[in-house]
Amino acid sequence: MLILSLQNVSKDYLTDGQRIPALSNLSLGVKRGEFVALVGRSGCGKSTLLNLAGAMDFPTAGQVLVDGISTSSLKDAGMTQLRREKVGFIFQSFQLLHTLTVFENVELPLLLAGKPNAREAARERLAWVQLGDLGHRYPHQLSGGQMQRAAIARALIHSPSILLADEPTGNLDTTTGNVILELLRRLAREQNTATIMATHSVEAAALADTVVRLRDGKIEGITRR
Amino acid sequence: MPRLLLFYRLMVRPLLQEQARAALTVFAMALGVAVVLAIDLAGSAATGSFRSSMEAFAGDNDLEVTASGGVPEDVVGTLVSLPYSIRISPRLENYAVIVGSKKSLPLIGLDFVGEGESFAQMDSARGVAPQAQENPQELLEHFGDNDSIWVGTSLGYNVGARVQLLINDQVREYTVRSVYPDSNGAESAIVMDIAAAQHALARYGRVDRILLKVPNAPGLEEWQQRLRSALPVGVEIHPQGTGTNENRKMLAAFRWNLRLLSYVSLVVGAFLIYNTISVSVVRRRPEIGIVRAQGASRGAILIAFVGEAGCFGLAGALIGLPLGRFMATGAVKLMSATVESLYVSSRPGAIELSFTSVLLALAIGVGIAVASAYSPAREAALVSPVEAMGRGRREYDVNVLKGRDLWLALALGLAAAAASRAPAIGGKPLFGYVAAILLVVASALAIPAFVHALTMFSSKLLGKLFGVEAMLASRSLAGSLRRTSVLVGALSTAIAMMTAVGIMVGSFRETVAVWMEDRLPADLYLRPGGSAATDRHPTISLGLAETIEKLPGVAAVERLRAYEIFYQEMPATLASVDLDVLRAEPNSEYFSGRPREQVLAELRDSNAVVVSEPFTYKHGVKTGDFITLPLGEKQVTFRIADVYYDYSSERGSVLMDRKTMLRYLPDPAPSNLAIYVAPEAKLETVRTEIEQATAGHHVLLFSNRDIRVEAIRIFDRTFAITYALEAVAVIVAVMGIAGALLALVIDRRRELGLLRFLGGATGQIRKLILVEAGLLGLLANLAGLALGFALSLVLIYVINKQSFGWTIRFHWPMEILVAALTVVYAATVLAGLYPAEVAVRLNPLEVVHEE
Repeated sequence: MLILSLQNVSKDYLTDGQRIPALSNLSLGVKRGEFVALVGRSGCGKSTLLNLAGAMDFPTAGQVLVDGISTSSLKDAGMTQLRREKVGFIFQSFQLLHTLTVFENVELPLLLAGKPNAREAARERLAWVQLGDLGHRYPHQLSGGQMQRAAIARALIHSPSILLADEPTGNLDTTTGNVILELLRRLAREQNTATIMATHSVEAAALADTVVRLRDGKIEGITRR
Repeated sequence: MPRLLLFYRLMVRPLLQEQARAALTVFAMALGVAVVLAIDLAGSAATGSFRSSMEAFAGDNDLEVTASGGVPEDVVGTLVSLPYSIRISPRLENYAVIVGSKKSLPLIGLDFVGEGESFAQMDSARGVAPQAQENPQELLEHFGDNDSIWVGTSLGYNVGARVQLLINDQVREYTVRSVYPDSNGAESAIVMDIAAAQHALARYGRVDRILLKVPNAPGLEEWQQRLRSALPVGVEIHPQGTGTNENRKMLAAFRWNLRLLSYVSLVVGAFLIYNTISVSVVRRRPEIGIVRAQGASRGAILIAFVGEAGCFGLAGALIGLPLGRFMATGAVKLMSATVESLYVSSRPGAIELSFTSVLLALAIGVGIAVASAYSPAREAALVSPVEAMGRGRREYDVNVLKGRDLWLALALGLAAAAASRAPAIGGKPLFGYVAAILLVVASALAIPAFVHALTMFSSKLLGKLFGVEAMLASRSLAGSLRRTSVLVGALSTAIAMMTAVGIMVGSFRETVAVWMEDRLPADLYLRPGGSAATDRHPTISLGLAETIEKLPGVAAVERLRAYEIFYQEMPATLASVDLDVLRAEPNSEYFSGRPREQVLAELRDSNAVVVSEPFTYKHGVKTGDFITLPLGEKQVTFRIADVYYDYSSERGSVLMDRKTMLRYLPDPAPSNLAIYVAPEAKLETVRTEIEQATAGHHVLLFSNRDIRVEAIRIFDRTFAITYALEAVAVIVAVMGIAGALLALVIDRRRELGLLRFLGGATGQIRKLILVEAGLLGLLANLAGLALGFALSLVLIYVINKQSFGWTIRFHWPMEILVAALTVVYAATVLAGLYPAEVAVRLNPLEVVHEE
């Protein structure tokens, strides 16, 4: 069963009154536990695809189904609810809140959703990413790799069905980047979480089950391993 | 020119892109400038250009002869008989009320008969030009009549009009014989022949002043000495207008204190400019690095940011100018009413927006803005290009040294305590002001530690109580400690001034209310009709007291008499009490704590007086000292038997036995009557009887309660302007909070967008910003309350005491404080509404990916 399905999806942006197509008639299905890499040049539509898949935006045409729910049928509150339950995000620049400790950053999605036992869940997720003893530190006291691991723990705190990672190794050196990719790969398998990763890195893409090549908002090719 | 172009591109254009925030800063500055300008303009109109209303027709005279209780008429004869060529103009001065319009005007009696020719010709030396519609001879004839008056054109009467005037407690009808141009009412007065005035006022044998025009040679001092030797000892000779000058000096303290209060809004505005420029510096850090790398010098960076502040200041001043002129119209009314009820009868002058006022507003606006921007601008100039570009957006609070600042705050607090114990300098509580400033600075330095401690320790509790948004808000405020501290500092300063003045006024009000309980022992009080003023003492017809005394329900009538005198060149009130009637009071109103009857017994048949508390501070005297008062034609020395608390006027009073006063000033007409109702009689019945007995006399009868209510009404009106000033300061601060929250939202847009990615709903984003506003308000309220309490002690026990000489008993005006703080808190939260909406409308996709 597909956890994410994009059916004939198009997305246009209006810039200064001009319609700029970002995705054109794109279809893609992702299964639970599948690790997908989106590759392509800057501006090819990777981030737009992630935003649509993460219920952060609506398609101009076509349908995005997250666990069978069409995002087009939802309003803002419904989209928020969908993200709270189904989607986790990882960013290139980690996006940790500098005023919160690692624990507090990780438990934030659960707290925003009003869920109980956030601290226990955070402790567990930090153990997954081998940061169990750094929970009380602030982000500026961590290395880049540690920050990204904390961000991964945060993305997984609510056990999402879909993990969306936008250039997760873009700000890291190669060695640390590889460690993070391994971690993502392992967690996706263990948690049966569909992971969609936008990347420029050939090494990163090589780890994926499926590589989707995008060009000018369209799928140029899909390689499944 | 290229530099201006660069300044426009790099500094002004970004401001135009954030119009709402820039507008809030400019308007906050404009309000600050407007308030200072309004108080300055209104002060000039109400007090600064003070000219006693009695100076109408004073003309070009050089000297004036005065005496407490009036100058004996034979002094005129003495002066005339001197072998000098001097012009002698005796005057009788009082007040009259036009019955129809209830307008109170100076009543001036001039010697038309003695100086007939010159009045008929109305030479320019008299200060006014004639507009008589009759020939001079005919005019003179009529001026001799007891019912002839001469009025200013602004009153709107034509020659021949009949006018009813209330003079003392009698209404009389007069005929307008001539009108004169009176400079839009500034010179307006009722003028009549001195004999007619003596008749109307029932004051025979004395005049109030004799104005003298002496030849140019020898000098004025020589003339003063020559003439003094010919006058009786109690009669004094001064340069003409001395009373006006002394009154002007007396008003200076009042004006000075109001002016200082008006600066509070500017101080708050300065905090906000500092914050705005600091935010600007932090935001543009990478740009600073880039332009420095392109060749900009440190000086250019400093000038750019100071220039940005200067733009805010200039724009604020330009808007503040018309706003201040508009606000001055309201302020002058309040200030004039206060001057009239607390100090001296006067008329406000016209509000004049002079070139100097415009320059002052511009200098204040630009000066304050530039001064408050200097520190963050210098910080920007010191950043190295590599650091600025390399590290990107550095955190705002890198330089906050909480611990060091806390120690500094403690040291300044101790310095403030020491300053508050220092005496006044030249009658001004300069060290009191220093103490207040030190406390404000100490508070500003202590605020970062206070904010940090409170936000860090309360964030978990807040999270539990109000949800994750409250925790995030608290952490966010702690995370931007410098910015938060500046905002809390600005708002708390405004709140502190509001609290301090609220406590001071509330304490004063309570003290006055308690004091009146003791000071008004009689059941009813009677005074001549017309408006009351502290320097006017109209009298009641002789015989009226006796009539009332004989009424069946009346136990006793106490006759009170007051005169306007000058002691040590300062105006004061000389009053007498009837020791035969006075009743014992439960609480002592004297410094010694002795009962009233014991103190006043010392005054009986002796040259002993009691003086009011303000009198002791103004003249540096105490119980046991001797003062010499000019009474009639004598100089009389009195021993001060005790000092009494008095809150009715700040000019100072001297109280003596009625019999002693009559010995030197033998006019028995009382100014007021205090009527004691017999225990078995009903107050209302007696009141009706008195009203019937006084029919035909224009007198006002007040119950004990009426007087208290009226006194509190005047009290509240007096302090209305201080409340208005504080309200403006708070508005400025709240506007600053709104602007700063907007900046905070813009700066934290990535974080707010991220929360949406992490499952945050729009309502949660809104709540987050509103909680931040609420927390800022709470922190500012707490800090403001603490600082306000400390400032109120300085105001009550140092500044007030040294400025006005009143002992105020401390009192917490809980209702006012709770209401005011609640309003401020609500306003702060409301100030977060717009920034919250901006935060909600942010597009998370754009803001998260824009870095």
